[in-house]
Amino acid sequence: MPATDRAQDRAMSRPRLGVVKFASCDGCQLTLLDLEDELLPITDRVEIVEFAEATSARSSGPYDLLLVEGSISTPEQAHEIVELRRQTAKLVTIGACATAGGIQALRNVADHDAWRAAIYPEPAWIESLATATPIADHVTVDAELRGCPIAPGQLKEFLVASLVGRRPQLPDEAVCMECKRAGRVCVVVASGEACLGPVTRTGCGALCPAYARGCYACFGPRESANVAGLRQGFVAASLLTEAEVDERFAGFTAMAPAFAPSASAAALSYREGAVVRPSTDKAARPEVDDARR
Amino acid sequence: MTERRDLAASLATSWFGADLPPHARAAFLDLARVVDLPADHELTREGELTTELDVVISGRVALQLRVPGRSRATILTVEPGDIVGWSAVVPPYRATSTAVTVGVVKALAVDAVALRDALRADDALAASLYPRLLESVARRLQGTRLQLLDLFSGQGEGTW
Amino acid sequence: MTTARPTALPASLSPASHPDPDSLEPAFLERADLAALVVALRDDGRAVIGPTVRDGAVILDEITSVDELPVGVRETQAPGHYRLGDGRPDRIFDFTVGPMSPKGWTFPARVPIGTARRTPDGATFSAATPDARPLAFLGVRACELAALDVQDRVLLRGPVADHDYDARRRSALIVSVECTTAATTCFCTSMGTGPEVRDGADLVLTETTAGFVVRTGSERGRDLLARLPVRPATDLERDEAAGGVAEARAAVSANAGVATTGLPGRLGAALDHPRWAEVAERCLTCGNCTLVCPTCFCTSVEQVSDLEGTETTTNRAWASCFSAEFAAVAGGTFRSRPQDRYRQWLTHKFSTWVDQFGTSGCVGCGRCVTWCPVGIDVREELAAIAPPPRQALPVLPIAPSPVPDDAWLRAARVLDSRRETDDVVTMTVAWNDAPRPRPGQFVMIGLPGYPAAPISVSRVHDAAIELTIRAAGPATTALTRLGPGEEVGRRGPLGRGWPVERMVGRDIVIVAGGIGLAPLRPLIDSIAADRLQFGAVRIFLGARTPRDRLFTAELAAWTEAGLLVDETVDRAGADWLGRVGVVTHLFDHSERIPEGTIAAVCGPERMMEATADVLRSRGLTDDRILVTLERHMDCGVGLCGHCQLGRFFVCRDGPVFSLAELGDAFGREGR
Repeated sequence: MPATDRAQDRAMSRPRLGVVKFASCDGCQLTLLDLEDELLPITDRVEIVEFAEATSARSSGPYDLLLVEGSISTPEQAHEIVELRRQTAKLVTIGACATAGGIQALRNVADHDAWRAAIYPEPAWIESLATATPIADHVTVDAELRGCPIAPGQLKEFLVASLVGRRPQLPDEAVCMECKRAGRVCVVVASGEACLGPVTRTGCGALCPAYARGCYACFGPRESANVAGLRQGFVAASLLTEAEVDERFAGFTAMAPAFAPSASAAALSYREGAVVRPSTDKAARPEVDDARR
Repeated sequence: MTERRDLAASLATSWFGADLPPHARAAFLDLARVVDLPADHELTREGELTTELDVVISGRVALQLRVPGRSRATILTVEPGDIVGWSAVVPPYRATSTAVTVGVVKALAVDAVALRDALRADDALAASLYPRLLESVARRLQGTRLQLLDLFSGQGEGTW
Repeated sequence: MTTARPTALPASLSPASHPDPDSLEPAFLERADLAALVVALRDDGRAVIGPTVRDGAVILDEITSVDELPVGVRETQAPGHYRLGDGRPDRIFDFTVGPMSPKGWTFPARVPIGTARRTPDGATFSAATPDARPLAFLGVRACELAALDVQDRVLLRGPVADHDYDARRRSALIVSVECTTAATTCFCTSMGTGPEVRDGADLVLTETTAGFVVRTGSERGRDLLARLPVRPATDLERDEAAGGVAEARAAVSANAGVATTGLPGRLGAALDHPRWAEVAERCLTCGNCTLVCPTCFCTSVEQVSDLEGTETTTNRAWASCFSAEFAAVAGGTFRSRPQDRYRQWLTHKFSTWVDQFGTSGCVGCGRCVTWCPVGIDVREELAAIAPPPRQALPVLPIAPSPVPDDAWLRAARVLDSRRETDDVVTMTVAWNDAPRPRPGQFVMIGLPGYPAAPISVSRVHDAAIELTIRAAGPATTALTRLGPGEEVGRRGPLGRGWPVERMVGRDIVIVAGGIGLAPLRPLIDSIAADRLQFGAVRIFLGARTPRDRLFTAELAAWTEAGLLVDETVDRAGADWLGRVGVVTHLFDHSERIPEGTIAAVCGPERMMEATADVLRSRGLTDDRILVTLERHMDCGVGLCGHCQLGRFFVCRDGPVFSLAELGDAFGREGR
């Protein structure tokens, strides 16, 4: 019987929730613990069968709902995620690593073997892929929670909506929308801060602008992210040079498709020690290692 | 002669023949004969040579495609006034679908080879007949494009 | 301005036209005595919303003392640029407008509109109570007063008033300040809104070297003035005040402006201008312009549920036509391209708004220019998209159908539910204490925990209605799973239905695609019930497959009633003996459509376009081709803005339209 059917059979009892991680820092998992007040009621409603940060209980699937943190960085992980997918009815990626590859995806544009040789005394013992890739590059993903780390409010909304059975409200709009609803003054216009909010998906509650700094896009690109327009605007206003704009994208969601051309250009120039480089619009998303497929 | 008059009347009331100029109508009628077909009669078979062009006068013809492992799918029904077998005049003269009558059908049938010969020999006939044939095919193409969009499957999807 | 700007306020807010001859007016208030005004307002229990400096800008916030007001502050503004600097020493209102406007309090960014609870025997729905604390605004500029009036027209003077806005707006006392300085982004003189304050304020201050010349604009204002330490203003003081405003007028007039004469027509004729694509390369579609705009009123609903799913609060939150989700429906969004969204915003603001509400949606405050992070200037864009003049359309007569004044959902019981196809269910819902839906009207139906969805009424009984629902998303799926005895929240009937009276005595063609038959069924019922009143009636039905055909048990009855029914399906197995082909295929073989025939069409928009093309080729004129449109609807009563289409709200002014009414808005990508 496929996992999905089994999951339906159990719909009357408490759904089985798992939390697993790959290459990541555990910060997103910990957001579940940040829910504090809601955590106990949540455990009333779902059975947490796998969650290394909170319980020593170990279980192999099946899972009704599996929260997956981290990117795929080793051959072993690439195999494991496929296996987990088979055991899971609804697979949800959480955080920038799982949804976009994370900061470690910057290695996708680096010389993997050279770094490995330079860092480890016995490079041959290190089994890692040349790339760190999002979960969706490997298996079908049912939903994603963005952020570095994910927002507790969005996690709660996702769990509540899943339990109620409605569509979770995870709006795909600019950070600016929530920033203005919160009555904040635009840091680009009033302070000349470079802020990636206009091209970044909302969800964090516009946290950084609340502290008078620009958004650094940890929730990744929103739909219609106009990176070229943002770069042009910042350069025209003398806020940043083109190269500096690109560097802003070389962060936690660097390899998200809309940001990858900019971020790759920045990473490559770092690698080559170049100070000046041409416009990067044509840079393609780096090739991923075919071996993992 | 009665038959000829009936033939002419049938053609004139059909969509296909309604606006044909007198010369083309007469030339076409010279080639045509009335056929009464039983239900489930196969007019063309997908991939095989098309032997005749039919103008449906009454009844309905289903155009079907074969899908391995599935029963045949009807992709269009040809209604009275329209034609079956345009491939009779388009190389390689092989049917693009299997045409099966749904119930009894009355039609004007024209032999494929005779029609091609006539079109080659009679420029005036060709100049009148080809646009009508193209119009019929174009309308099907347009309909098929809309079908491709599968509009009704997405209805109301997504928001609520 | 081609269109007269409205002067009427809600009656209670209207200023009296004949001031008392014995009054002090205009009066003079020493600057040091401004504190008395703040104290008086607070003594009345009002939250005083006034300007204060924070985060590098003059913002609005609740102030508790006059000390929180800016002193000697002036800003510089340019496209995408705002910086504070020094103004004239001691002056309190020496700046123009900042990023915020009174909208943040009269129409807050997020307010609850109702709560839904699941109960053991059904569901309860309760509308939210608006925050009752009375407001006082201090320092409202002429353009902002005009903006309040624009929002009044949208949110109060339509067929349905926004209850929350109504309560806040009526409570608010307005102390206005006339501008004596101007930013480069100001263009109030173009839009006819300022800098002089004409009406709409309770008290009007004009700042001078020593204090304020004060006028009143209402009874409330006169009561307030009587409590202030004022004396009659001298001629010199009056002249200085008038001079200051005149200087501001001169400065604004020297700015780039907007050529408003004939603008609605010119914009309407420029829908295919290449500039839309060009501006979309610069536009970030971030939505900042819409949220800083003091007239933009669009909102979305949000559900906040508890873990048990027993209680869900529905919030209304500011939304923007620049987000893709805003116009999302049936597996996509109507405005997928950024250029569509920019065009929607600009053409609504400056063109269709006039047709819809009798006033421009722009008051010339310049906020969208300053607060655009990449400095896109509407004045420049409008000047570039400047085609030849065109006559503006007459203001649209709204709400031809009576609208129930429910504030929100009310509970109604499900009486029956039966399956039509694999994914379509017809549900019967008790219908008491509400108007009887007319054919083509819809209702909003919600369940606790889910957003309410617009659902077509597919049949009307004496104390019940039928709703035919396709399980497409979670909310509609949940609706299709309800059984007898359960409760839903309902609001309606809503919208304008089929003009049955216009169809009397005429031949009628009805074309339905898929679930599009649902809103047509009450029309068919009306015709069948009064068959002799109508001419020949032909019904063309299209469905995806034979299994997806709706109401199949009734087709025979329709035929018996003298309606000619033709059916076709998009695809079928070999066992299907009926027609196969798209719904327009049915026309290919139908006889001529008689002159004067009226067509009623409902289905996916692309199918309706193809049908309209065929009908036109058969000689039907656009005023005789009626369609019913689907758009994203959150509120259903013309307040949330999602379903804006040209000068229409599809929910309120439609969903039934003639193609003549829709004009350019039908069959055009990105509207």
